[in-house]
Amino acid sequence: MSDVAATARVVRALGARSIRQTFRRPQLISPIVVFPTLLLAVQTGGAGAGVELPGFPPVQSFLQFMLAGSMMQSMMLAGNSGGIAFAVDIEMGFTDRLFAAPIPRFAIVLGRLAGTAALGLFAAIWFFAIGLIFGAEIEGGVPGALLATALVTASALAVGGIGAAIALRTGSASVVQGLFPLVLVVLFLSSAFFPQELMVEPAKTIAEYNPLSFIVEGVREPIISGIDATQTLEAVAAIAGIVVLGLMLSARALRHRLRVG
Amino acid sequence: MAAAIVVAGLERAFGEFRAVQGIDIEVGEGEIYGFLGPNGAGKTTTVRMLTTLLLPTGGRATVAGHDVVAEARQVRATIGVALQEAALDPLMTGRELIRLQATLQGLPPAAGRRRADALLERVDLAAAADRRVGTYSGGMQRRLDLAAALVHEPRVLFLDEPTTGLDPVSRKTIWEEVRALNDDGTTVFLTTQYLEEADQLADNVGIIDSGRIVAEGTPEALKGEVGNPHIELLVGEGAVAEAERVCRELGKLLPPKDGKRVLVEVEHGSADIPRVVRALDEAGIEVESLELVRPTLDDVFVAKTGYHLEEEEAKKAAEEASST
Amino acid sequence: MEAALTPNWRANLATIAALMTRAKNELIRVPGAAIPGVLAPTIFFLGLNGVFGSLTQLGGFETGSYESFIVPVSMLQGAGFTGAAAGVNLARDYEQGWVDRLLVSPAPRWVLLAGNVLAASVRALVPATFVLAIAFVIGAQWPGLDGLLVCYVMVTATAAVAACWGSMLALHFKSQSAAPLMQAGTMALILLTPAYAPLALLQPWLEDVASVNPLTQVLEAARQGFVGSVTWAETWPGLMALAGLLLVFGGLALREMRRTNV
Repeated sequence: MSDVAATARVVRALGARSIRQTFRRPQLISPIVVFPTLLLAVQTGGAGAGVELPGFPPVQSFLQFMLAGSMMQSMMLAGNSGGIAFAVDIEMGFTDRLFAAPIPRFAIVLGRLAGTAALGLFAAIWFFAIGLIFGAEIEGGVPGALLATALVTASALAVGGIGAAIALRTGSASVVQGLFPLVLVVLFLSSAFFPQELMVEPAKTIAEYNPLSFIVEGVREPIISGIDATQTLEAVAAIAGIVVLGLMLSARALRHRLRVG
Repeated sequence: MAAAIVVAGLERAFGEFRAVQGIDIEVGEGEIYGFLGPNGAGKTTTVRMLTTLLLPTGGRATVAGHDVVAEARQVRATIGVALQEAALDPLMTGRELIRLQATLQGLPPAAGRRRADALLERVDLAAAADRRVGTYSGGMQRRLDLAAALVHEPRVLFLDEPTTGLDPVSRKTIWEEVRALNDDGTTVFLTTQYLEEADQLADNVGIIDSGRIVAEGTPEALKGEVGNPHIELLVGEGAVAEAERVCRELGKLLPPKDGKRVLVEVEHGSADIPRVVRALDEAGIEVESLELVRPTLDDVFVAKTGYHLEEEEAKKAAEEASST
Repeated sequence: MEAALTPNWRANLATIAALMTRAKNELIRVPGAAIPGVLAPTIFFLGLNGVFGSLTQLGGFETGSYESFIVPVSMLQGAGFTGAAAGVNLARDYEQGWVDRLLVSPAPRWVLLAGNVLAASVRALVPATFVLAIAFVIGAQWPGLDGLLVCYVMVTATAAVAACWGSMLALHFKSQSAAPLMQAGTMALILLTPAYAPLALLQPWLEDVASVNPLTQVLEAARQGFVGSVTWAETWPGLMALAGLLLVFGGLALREMRRTNV
């Protein structure tokens, strides 16, 4: 039990550092918030008439529909940003200091992910605030908002694991940064910005099977209609899948990092 | 001799901070003027004002007869500049860079190509001319920067700490080149934090500290002002204070060097050595080494500012290293 | 051999050409340097087409082909990214002391700025042509030679405007930390237009903004060949808008260039 308590203390300390680091650097936060907010504004303004299309889910407004997609976009950028911060730690030699300490290796990764999760939480709160200010209603009420927030935070953790794995494997911040276009690709090939049924092939088919679509729908449902157990479970399953993938990749990358130094 | 550079009451303030505080300088044509001072003294700020990169906030300056504010473009046409940062493009080859500089200076293409070839030969970079600058060593980059500054045969050449960070061999090479340029008639305004450099190269030296000129003249005249030689003693650990007490009775005590060497100015040079040694011996102080040192520019610096130039630089470097 | 005090037009052109040659080095001599500038607008083009392609089912679109409707947006986006990148490069040059080398020469300040801006205009042809090629592969309408020419003119001039904007910020802040502002500014200007849908289908607030945004005229001029035919009535407002933007941002950039020694 004392080992668990000690590990928890380490994770807490590293997590606190990660969170402090994140929020002390405006240049890390602003792309995560500014860019998706700008896109939210122009997409709701530009494509908002899309709610008139036959087959569009019943929504109060296109803004209400888009909130989940913007949160997902922020979350993905947060994962990328966490990976960059981790790679910077590796480049600067800070992780060597941690590796040399008598702490479990996975605690190092978990601590880093705490910062990413905090960013995910921030993103969810930010877009809920934007939505409420501009008149969007949360059909699921407070429980719905809490569920959506929890899913966004959990998926930030999951995606952050993949970012951490890439950072550990490459040890290069510029390589992780260079993956930003991939983030956009994954987002566009999901139902983040438009209903999957109304997308154009081949994006439509890819979005149908994209795990991100399941997560987006899980976050969106409480906002546009109310809590739905099936959607929620599908989202949780998708997140769990990404978590498992992230853990496997991180473990391998960690072994590689410890081998090559 | 006409003046190539005339500075009168030149000032530069950055908000409340006055980096240059009303300096006066006159550099004759064909002269090498050494501008000596520690980091942060105002050397680079002065050079940037004289090369039109920075507007003065007070005073006047003319370079080659043109006012640096009102006739800035004329000034730029007559000067060559090699700044503290070599400012080279790592993706360009040496030859491309010199040709670009020639184009910037308004030289026709054929003349620019000829000058590039000649200059690359002159600074011993002909073999590396078609390699990218990013592959050059520090010394090669400095030589290239110098060559670029000469492409239009300027009347006045500004060199801002041209040998900082170079090994002794590269430094000597740059010195030789500066002397050769001056022999061809180019006026050189050289800033440096190296006493030896100013001593070796400059016809006249201006010493700047905290934005003010504290001394100016030929190296010999400045050293002569300081007057007497001094004896430099290395004593055992813990004996410095006692040695200073003894020496105070024998001559003028100077600020100690690196905390271990006691410096005492003596009137009669080597004739004073025996009585100094006797007095220390009688006081039971062991002398590890003893040297008679004639005045240097560092002595001039100490006399004017109260501290050693090179010690100050070492202290600043150590402070910077511990804060990063 | 003193340099010419008042360099003639030949010397000015030679300087501009030399600075443009230097700017192209990064594309040619750094492996993969061109990729980010090409990748971003291409991803946006394919992504937006895949996501919002069915919007053409709404009345009001001049074409049933969303890829034809949106390809000029992506080409202009590429121009915006390229122009902003020119600003980032100038900021980097400033930090590394290279700009001092230019400022200490007798070359007129407008010549130094023109070299950077024109280099961006030419460079913008790369992502624009790549996006266009992809668009044709997935079925965008051929705009005709006149439509193509007008579109490319709009793209190169937009890149010049973005480069003036980026250069202005670079010379003002003297730091690459202004890079996000350079990118965000051009992106916002291009997207606050009928980028996603025709003016009449935009939400009221965006319709109001787009109506006064000069880039709307530029976009409509660039788009006309892809959704219909090219007319002078659709073209001249775009040219006027670009001329005005170049005057404003070019003037501001030149002002900053002249104030670097303050």
